Amino acid sequence: MYRYLKSAFVALPSAALAMSLFGTAQAKVEGDTIVLGAALSFTGKYKTNGKHTKNGYELAVKRVNEMGGVKVGGKNYELKVVYYDDESTPARGAQLVERLIKQDGIQFMLGPYSSGLTKAMAPVTEKYKIPMVEGNGASRSLFNKGYKYLFAVLSTSEQYLAEAINLAAEQAKAAGKDPGTLKLALAVENDPFSQDIRAGVLDDAKKHGMKVVIDDKLPKELNDMTVTLTKVKALKPDVLVVSGHSKGAATAVRQMMEQKVEVPMFAITHCEAADVVGKFGPGADYTLCATQWAETMTYEDDYFGSASDYAKLFEKEYGYVPPYQAAESTASVLVWVDALQRASSFDTAKLRDALSATDMRTFYGNVKFDETGKNIAKPMVLRQIQGGQYKVVAPTKWASDKLVHPRPKWSER
Amino acid sequence: MNGGGKIALYLGLAVAALLVPQVPFLQPYLIQFAFLWVMILFAMTWDVMGGQMGYNSFGNIVFFGVGMYATAVVQRDLYFTVEEYANVAGGEQAALTPAEYLTGLALGMGIGGMLAVLIAAVLGSGILGLRGHYFAICTLGLGIAAGELASGWDYIGAGSGLVTPLLPDALGERGPFFYYVFLVLAVITFLVLKRLYAGQFGLAINAIRDDEDKADALGLHATRYKTVAWCVSGFFLALAGGVFGNLVIFIDPTDVAFAGPTFGVWMVLMAILGGKGTLWGPVIGATVFHLTQEFFWTYLFGWQRVALGLLIVVVVVFFPLGIVGWLRERWPQRFGEMVDEDARRVQVSLEGER
Repeated sequence: MYRYLKSAFVALPSAALAMSLFGTAQAKVEGDTIVLGAALSFTGKYKTNGKHTKNGYELAVKRVNEMGGVKVGGKNYELKVVYYDDESTPARGAQLVERLIKQDGIQFMLGPYSSGLTKAMAPVTEKYKIPMVEGNGASRSLFNKGYKYLFAVLSTSEQYLAEAINLAAEQAKAAGKDPGTLKLALAVENDPFSQDIRAGVLDDAKKHGMKVVIDDKLPKELNDMTVTLTKVKALKPDVLVVSGHSKGAATAVRQMMEQKVEVPMFAITHCEAADVVGKFGPGADYTLCATQWAETMTYEDDYFGSASDYAKLFEKEYGYVPPYQAAESTASVLVWVDALQRASSFDTAKLRDALSATDMRTFYGNVKFDETGKNIAKPMVLRQIQGGQYKVVAPTKWASDKLVHPRPKWSER
Repeated sequence: MNGGGKIALYLGLAVAALLVPQVPFLQPYLIQFAFLWVMILFAMTWDVMGGQMGYNSFGNIVFFGVGMYATAVVQRDLYFTVEEYANVAGGEQAALTPAEYLTGLALGMGIGGMLAVLIAAVLGSGILGLRGHYFAICTLGLGIAAGELASGWDYIGAGSGLVTPLLPDALGERGPFFYYVFLVLAVITFLVLKRLYAGQFGLAINAIRDDEDKADALGLHATRYKTVAWCVSGFFLALAGGVFGNLVIFIDPTDVAFAGPTFGVWMVLMAILGGKGTLWGPVIGATVFHLTQEFFWTYLFGWQRVALGLLIVVVVVFFPLGIVGWLRERWPQRFGEMVDEDARRVQVSLEGER
């Protein structure tokens, strides 16, 4: 008998180990600490932006706690965030969101990095009616589902580079040319976020009657886009749009420089997150960068002061200039703080209503959600790298400098 | 162990597995347990080829992805047009009734399974003539190619991925539902494989592993057996994939469906860890691997991959035969009997004759 009792070792690990390995479920509020939860990409292809996101969350938590914490029901609470590593894959993200909710008892969720991960998590938080405030899932397909518990502080992805197309059209008109004669080249990573960017760009190109001469899908883990650039050299488009997170940005800028590709306008996303200026110096000049936020903008709030104060504090803390991915993450925490204080309750239904009624100013911009949960109070801006500095060139309201157009030839720099 | 003891063991395990969702303190962990069954399915189906037949396949993930996409597409196309679904997937307007959901899931899994068998048969007749490393490398390419194809095909969402229908509320919580579905799938797979290994089929594929030329010379239709083995493996993997897509909700072509660098490699590791070529080895290997992984993920935050890498090195260096292989070598009377009596008898009698 004892022999096959012993063989119960097959069955026992599941129960016994599970108990000892994972802690017991925590409450959403432990003593005087409010616990937020987030699954972020600390490893895998999104790890750079995962780090920016975490730093953004952490800086907000630190600052809010320094300033007395969050006041709910007449009592001051400190903030804390529980993190897991989703390894940049939705398969892991789906497990972790359940884990945060069911095991850690998280009732206040912060978003992951990337639209794909947010797509995998949002249906789950929705199902459990757990509000999630996110700053890094920009795909517009997240905001046509009738989600009631998803709130995004950022502008959706189809807006990212649409402004570049309008700018190109403006420039053409100013030069006495018909925008319809412009040739457009697109090279966009094959992922939900970048494909959305493509859709936005194509919409605007259609509006101006521009001709799309290159429309390439780039692989994930983008390390080489020579094929696209060779086509660019041959077809000579007027505008080249590239989007592929940080790796895509770095690859595009590097290879444009190495292969001396001439194109009048070159617009990409994720310049700051990829630190293209730090990596490539003058080679990154005249690149147009879509940004959710710029430290030169005139927003401010009580926690961080102005946008540039935030940038200084962030740089002091983490040793690099904050990309907008960090700023929008910080803003997500501030939105939570605001909602918790206004609702003065930990009830998720009340908090959801408080979140949807958000109308606040932050160093990152104004935040006001429409009924789909996306922020409609903040524009995207377009910056051009000029002499190693990011200068806002569009839209006109925020423009601090004039666009240099067309890009000077490599031989003339 | 006598027959009665064995039945008692199986019954005990079955009761334990069925009771897990009823234990209050395990409730929050059900999704992880569901993943555990998926891992066990991965290891068991890989072992048909890699362990029992000695053909290391790195391309089995293809069947997983095919099953996943087939199921999701059937679920979608039964009730929506492609454009319609793209706008509502994942939201309330895409909610299905329990009957619709289950019909779509069952039908999708059926079609996914058949598709996988078809692919295994076609590919198998083509590349199962390759042996050893050549076969392994060829299958490695399959997974990558499938991922790239899926990334470029707009009908299945291309690189933007595909959101699967959500579990209707009437079917209960996600945890217990997926736990039971994967449990049933894993048990059926286990029993089918057990039955197959015990019969002529098992002997044939073992013969192919031990000496294919001899097996061939003795009149065994080696390629036919190899193809059937791959079909069996692919069929169950496709069923698992079909449910897995619904569990994860979002199908990314390379990170979820054709996830060669993660699932595709893990299935090999788990089978080797537990002891390839044994019935229980893959089950134990997958359990240990999954629990260790969860443990590393929680307590060695940021270093989990390094720790996992070290674990693999340790296993390969110190337990080249895997856990079951190592235990059997140490205590042949005890463990040989308990883990797989038939296989041991065959082994012992062969050794006696030598």
